[in-house]
Amino acid sequence: MKTIRVAVVSINTILKHKMRALLIILAIVVGIATLTVIVALTQGMNKKIMNRIQNFGPDAIMVHSGGGKIRGPSTASEANITRKDISDIENINGVKLVTSFQVALDMPIKYGNKFTTSWVWGVEPNWKDAWRRDASRGEFITDSDNEQLSKVCVIGQTAAKELFEDANPIGENILIENVSFQIVGILERRGMSPIGTDFDNLILIPFTTASRRLMNQPLYISIARVIVRDPSRVEVVAKQIKEGLRENHHLVATEEDDFRLSTPGEVAEMVKSTAKTLKLFLWLVAVISPFVGGIVLMNIMLMAVSERKREIGLRRAVGAKKKHIIVQFLAESIMLTFIGGVIGVGAGIVIALLINLSGKPISITWQTFAIAFLFSTFIGLFFGIYPARKAAALDPATALSQK
Amino acid sequence: MGRLAMIEIEFKDVTKSFQSGTIRTDVLKGLTFKVEKGEFASIMAPSGTGKTTLLNVLGCLMKASSGSYIFEDQDVATLNDDHLSEIRNKKIGFVFQTFNLLERTSALDNVLLPLVYADTYPADAKQRAIKLLESVGLGERIHYKPSELSGGQQQRVAIARALINDPSIILADEPTGNLDSESSREVMNIFKTLHGQGRTIVVVTHDLAIARSAGRIIFLKDGRVEKTEVLS
Repeated sequence: MKTIRVAVVSINTILKHKMRALLIILAIVVGIATLTVIVALTQGMNKKIMNRIQNFGPDAIMVHSGGGKIRGPSTASEANITRKDISDIENINGVKLVTSFQVALDMPIKYGNKFTTSWVWGVEPNWKDAWRRDASRGEFITDSDNEQLSKVCVIGQTAAKELFEDANPIGENILIENVSFQIVGILERRGMSPIGTDFDNLILIPFTTASRRLMNQPLYISIARVIVRDPSRVEVVAKQIKEGLRENHHLVATEEDDFRLSTPGEVAEMVKSTAKTLKLFLWLVAVISPFVGGIVLMNIMLMAVSERKREIGLRRAVGAKKKHIIVQFLAESIMLTFIGGVIGVGAGIVIALLINLSGKPISITWQTFAIAFLFSTFIGLFFGIYPARKAAALDPATALSQK
Repeated sequence: MGRLAMIEIEFKDVTKSFQSGTIRTDVLKGLTFKVEKGEFASIMAPSGTGKTTLLNVLGCLMKASSGSYIFEDQDVATLNDDHLSEIRNKKIGFVFQTFNLLERTSALDNVLLPLVYADTYPADAKQRAIKLLESVGLGERIHYKPSELSGGQQQRVAIARALINDPSIILADEPTGNLDSESSREVMNIFKTLHGQGRTIVVVTHDLAIARSAGRIIFLKDGRVEKTEVLS
């Protein structure tokens, strides 16, 4: 009860020194708003990264032609995976399905006088099972399309938007590198790939048509996507694939792989490491700015203590114990930082939403609030305790005689 | 016990020295006196004779360097800082020369201030404070802030504040030092009335006219009791 009465003293003091309170609150608002914005941004970034990893698939292994350390899909020109490789992979225990596809990047696409570039992939019908991605409208590539080397395509939504805006593209003919293809379907939206490219700027055509008519690669396969039955065994299966391919490609121990495998773990690692430095920097700013607010708080509170020596002396004379003086000043600091925290979170969320309008991903969760409130209270405690102790340590007789 | 119970405060050879670097200043050099319960005593101390120091020791704001100070059978030297706070809160009502009211705070809230630190907050605290303000003639001004009150009125608020915890002793430090003669008389009349109600009052002053309002004057000189004069 006594503590509550002393806290009421703090509230009254705040109300009687509005300018001082305002300055402290402002300093904390700036700090906490910065923290909130950064938490929202980094969480948004994390969510985006998780989405990309999810887009890759937790049960998928990608087998790229060609060795080396280069990221990104292998194209038809560097293809060296054979049909035997594929059937060997299919026979590995734990493999659910394998789909092969040919890849060409940035192919010129024309429709009427409209022009764009897009990835063009030659795919088999089970591509849609391996990517869990079907035509959202119209039809997907069929077996008979592959048998007949049909010139049909399923168009991704970015490419469709570029060429047709809001009109229905199904049934229209587009030119892919001057070969005419009829659009039979629209591909489901997917978002960003793990390496940050647009998975919707993609046009799918039959595998055979791509190999023989467009990319001139009748023998080899650019990429295979392997889906395993049990996601926890991905790395085990990947190891078996690697061994099988090395054997098939007659590689001796000293030679490097002439193919690349990417697994979900590896993709997650890669994506996370690119965001790491930026995140570290952001967190540094996030933590430093509320501390600056805390230093402002401490300065103003120290000034308040020396201004109010006489009041402190009087309170001691009428019976306040040291701990009451500590509680009074600490409560003042914590209340001010808490108010600053509340306003700061509000301001931070508004700023984060504005940033979101410009296309940056953000995420506001209960953690955003928890971090901001915890941090502001901590600042109040940490930077408020010194002035409070200083006030309590004043000798009552000396403090009373202050002018 | 019977004799001791009648004694409110007792100084036995109390000294107080201050050390500043290598220089030691002896301010109180062995003070011995008693104040009985219900007594109205003045301590007559010319400026520069340790008046402030004496008050601080008397008011339990600081401890004596040596000798003993018995406050209601308790040896103050044995008490810690929290106990001293409790004594100041429950047993002592301070009245200062400069009033020491909280600025920007109403007369009523100023009177209630000591109760913030009391063990229990009485349910009728507000009524009690209003009654006290009425008894010092400020019933109409309970919501006035110090800056809106005259010196005499401010000192009367301070007296009401000193009484809110129903203390054993009122300790006044030059209570009329900042007041005109009219206000001074009013304030001293209030002390006389309080004394008439059976309260123990100690006024420390350098003004003999003021000191003469009391029943007994203890004259201080050079850190020691020079003489005692009983007036009534």
